Order: sequence, then structure tokens, then C-alpha cells
Amino acid sequence: MIGVRGLSVTFQSKGREVRAVEDVSLSVAKGESFGLVGESGSGKSTILRAICGLAPVTAGEIEIGGAPVPTPRGKGFAERVQMVFQDPYASLHPRHTIDRTLSEPLAIHAVGDTDQRVMQALADVGLPTSFRFRYPHQLSGGQRQRVAIARALMLQPQVLLLDEPTSALDASVQAETLNLLSRLRDERGLTFLMVSHDLAVIDHMCDRVLVMQHGRAVEEMSRADLAAARMKTDYARSLFEASADRMLG
Amino acid sequence: MGGAVMAGVMAWLREQNPTSRAQARAGQWFLGWLRLKRNPLAMVGLAIIVVLLVVAAFAPQLAPHDPIAQNLRERLLPPLTDGHLLGTDDFGRDILTRILYGARITLYIVALVTVTAPVVGLMIGTVAGYFGGWVDEVLMRTTDIFLAFPRLILALALVAVLGPGIENAVLAIALTAWPPYARVARAETLTVRNSDYIAAVRLQGAGAARIIWGHVVPMCLPSVIIRVTLDMAGVILTAAGLGFLGLGAQPPLSEWGLMISAGRKYLFEQWWVATMPGLAIFIVALGFNLLGDGLRDVLDPRSAGK
Repeated sequence: MIGVRGLSVTFQSKGREVRAVEDVSLSVAKGESFGLVGESGSGKSTILRAICGLAPVTAGEIEIGGAPVPTPRGKGFAERVQMVFQDPYASLHPRHTIDRTLSEPLAIHAVGDTDQRVMQALADVGLPTSFRFRYPHQLSGGQRQRVAIARALMLQPQVLLLDEPTSALDASVQAETLNLLSRLRDERGLTFLMVSHDLAVIDHMCDRVLVMQHGRAVEEMSRADLAAARMKTDYARSLFEASADRMLG
Repeated sequence: MGGAVMAGVMAWLREQNPTSRAQARAGQWFLGWLRLKRNPLAMVGLAIIVVLLVVAAFAPQLAPHDPIAQNLRERLLPPLTDGHLLGTDDFGRDILTRILYGARITLYIVALVTVTAPVVGLMIGTVAGYFGGWVDEVLMRTTDIFLAFPRLILALALVAVLGPGIENAVLAIALTAWPPYARVARAETLTVRNSDYIAAVRLQGAGAARIIWGHVVPMCLPSVIIRVTLDMAGVILTAAGLGFLGLGAQPPLSEWGLMISAGRKYLFEQWWVATMPGLAIFIVALGFNLLGDGLRDVLDPRSAGK
């Protein structure tokens, strides 16, 4: 479903070149959940942004559903791939009601039946429909992230890119949000590409994981490898040890 | 009965779970109003502007005399003379009447400038900020050129070319007033254009026009509105200045700047002729400034939503 080959992303900043991602390849099958893990600045979020066209691709190829993605990404891409951002406090427009936020993608793609679809989307992510005309500042962090997930699903994409969807939430809300995502994936046959710095979250959600460091791929593991702590590299092992206590629980 | 209706309206406005966009928006306006109400100076400013609106609307009913009819036997009567509360001018016209009618012209100028300069500035600023690169360079250097001219001088030059009159004065003021709005709008746009919610809507396939109009402009609007109310005093003064120089409203219209200009000759012996319209300008300019300061507290994006 998702194919990335030899992806490099280089940012130009005041004449200096910052290599955020170097020569990373990965492929995700339809219906699979693939994790990207690594510390801050390891380039994992940049891969998601490059897929969406929000970061410049300097080398390499990106394919969705077997066909290379167009630049600019365009409406066809939007109908297949959507993204959930890390910080639900920054990803919802502060002056738009939930209704406006959810109906905007429908308006862009000239999809009718707005009322019914917005109500259904709220119900799907477990929010009461009475929240429809609230503003984001009237919601909690977990509720906002549910709205962001609902927005990403409005166009019924096949692929969801998740950029640390729970790292800004407290532990109990994290679990709820992850369960919601798992449920939606099973119901709709979604393909997930998920970024996290937390192996426990990845272990809960993903079938395979790619460990990244300094913009390079370090090691790819299956969930079984992860559960049995079969790491080949020291870096992956140290990441594992940092979150092992929560994974076993 | 009336109390019950009022309570119903209040409950509707305070509803935590509005049932329509209109109710949600009205509720936000109501919260803003409550915040504005806590600021006594802003309320004073608002009261002044409401009075200006009422006076402009009902000038013919409120005014004791005709603003244009001359009566040379009653010329230059001092204030508090019977029938002429604020005295008369050099043609024997009642100054109070002329100030009341002048409110219409002032409001007309303010309204025309408000619907032109900030709109132009907002468009140029958001487009420049959103696209960046050479678009930004071209638009902002143009803005810089306009900013580099002294405002009154540029307005003077325009009026000199186009001919004196209120409409041309407004055009001149609007053409010289937009650059600061463009600057403000661009600065706001730069802070929001890389935010996640803009990225999200871009990812949904939205075009630049939709993003700028529907998502960037609402974030710039508060700063621009604040700026507009604070600039209104300056606009009134510029209009009065053009009137004073004989390039704005033309006699016998009772524009305040023009009235001051006419009273200049008698400034030492008949001080009220120039002072009364001057006081009117002072009070209205103060009103806009006080309201602008109050709005800043209510509308500032950094304080909203907390």
C-alpha cells in the first residue's frame, strides 16, 4: 500500500543543509500497521510529512497503492491518505467549530449530505453529537484528538498517517485513543503508518517497526522480535529497555 | 414576561452545546461582550460611538436650526446665548447644529475608510504572508513604498490631482491607510501558516484561496480590527486636516475640520467658533481609541479561548 524507496529529505536553513532523513526505505502492506520509532529529531515525523508533501523530497520515491504520488499531492491523494497530527491543541482551527472542521473536507471535495456525515463521524469516534457546534477550546485534549481522527476519516481514506497521536495526552486517555484507532482500523481495513518515540505504543498497535536514529533506518523488527527482545543493534536494545517495563504490563 | 424572554435569550447564548453555527457564533460574541463590559473605559468609548451613531442618524430631528441657512444679524454669538447653546459662526449659523450634521460626514468618512483600507491591506498581507517568496517580496516592497510617504502629504497630492471633495478625500485616506494593515496581516499570517491546522486543511486538498479566506483571514481579523479602531482617530484627524486645508469637504458642508478652518480667523476674539468642532473631533477620536484598547483585550488571539 505504501512504498518508500531511498527517501532523503534535506532542509535548507540559512545556507546550512540539515539532513533530516537519509536513504530510508520501507513498505507497508494493505491493512498492516507499521511503526516508526526513534528519539526526537531522528526524522520519523519528517518521513510522514514527506509522504504528505509537507516536507521537500530531495531523493527517492514514494508510492501509494503501487503508483508514485503526484506533486503537488492534490485532491486524489487527499481521498486516499490522511494524517493525524501530534498535538491536538495545535491541529484544530481555534476559530472554527467542530462542525466547520469536520465539514470542510466535504466542502473541498464537493461531497453532499454534510449534516448526516458529520453526525456519523462524531458517533464513530465516540463523541456525543451535542458537541457538534462547540469550539476546540471547549474540549479536552482527548476529545480534540478524537475530532482530529474524525476529520482524517471524513474522506474515507485507505491510509492513515499517525504522527505520535497520543504523546500529548495523559496515560488513561492515551489508551482510549489507541483503542479507538485499533477499532477503526479493524472496522474499515485501514493501513496505518505510525510514528512514536514510545515502543510500548508501537508494540500495542503495530505489526512491524522500523527503528530510526539520526535520520537513518537502524533496524526493522516484527512484533514477535520485539516481544522476544530479539534486537540486532545496541540502539534498538537501549530503546527497548527504556520502555520494557510498560510493554510487559 | 420580558424578564422570562431575557432569561431565555441568556440561556440560549450561554448554552454549552449549541445546536447551530449561528448559536455557537452568537455565544462567542456574547462571551466577548461580557469581557468587554468589564472594562469601564472601553464602555465609555463605546458609549461615545453609539452617541455619534445616534446623532448622525437623527441630526435633522435633534438639531435646533438649519445647518446652512445664514443669518448675519446673529453672527459670532457666544456660547449659551438664548437659542444657540454653542454659539454661532461668522455667517450666523448655529454651531451645535453644524456639529450634529458634521457627525454624519465624519461617520461617512470613517465608514468608507473602514470598508476599503483594511480589506485591501488584509488581502495583500495574507497573500504575501501565505505564499512567501517573490510574491511576498513584490507586495511588501510596494507596501514599504507607500509607508515611506508621509500620509497627509500623499493624501494631499492625490486630492490635488483628483480635485477636492469628500469622496476623493476618502480615497486619498484609504490609499494611504492600507499599508499598516498589510503589515499586521502578514505578520499574523506568518505565525499561522506553518501551523498544524493549516497543514491539515492543505492535506485535505484545499486550494490557496480557500485556505487564505477560510483559515488564515479569521486568525488575522482580530489584530486588524483592533488596529482599525485605534486608527480611526487618525483617519478622523486626517479628514479634518484635509477639510482644514480646503481639500476635503467643501463649504457650505459642515465638516468639522472645515469648521475649525473657518474659525481660525476669529481664534482670539471668538474662540468658540474653532474650539467647539475641535472638541467634537477630540471626543470622537478619544472614543475610538478607548474602544480599540478594550477590543484588544477581548479579541487578541493570544488571550482568546483561555
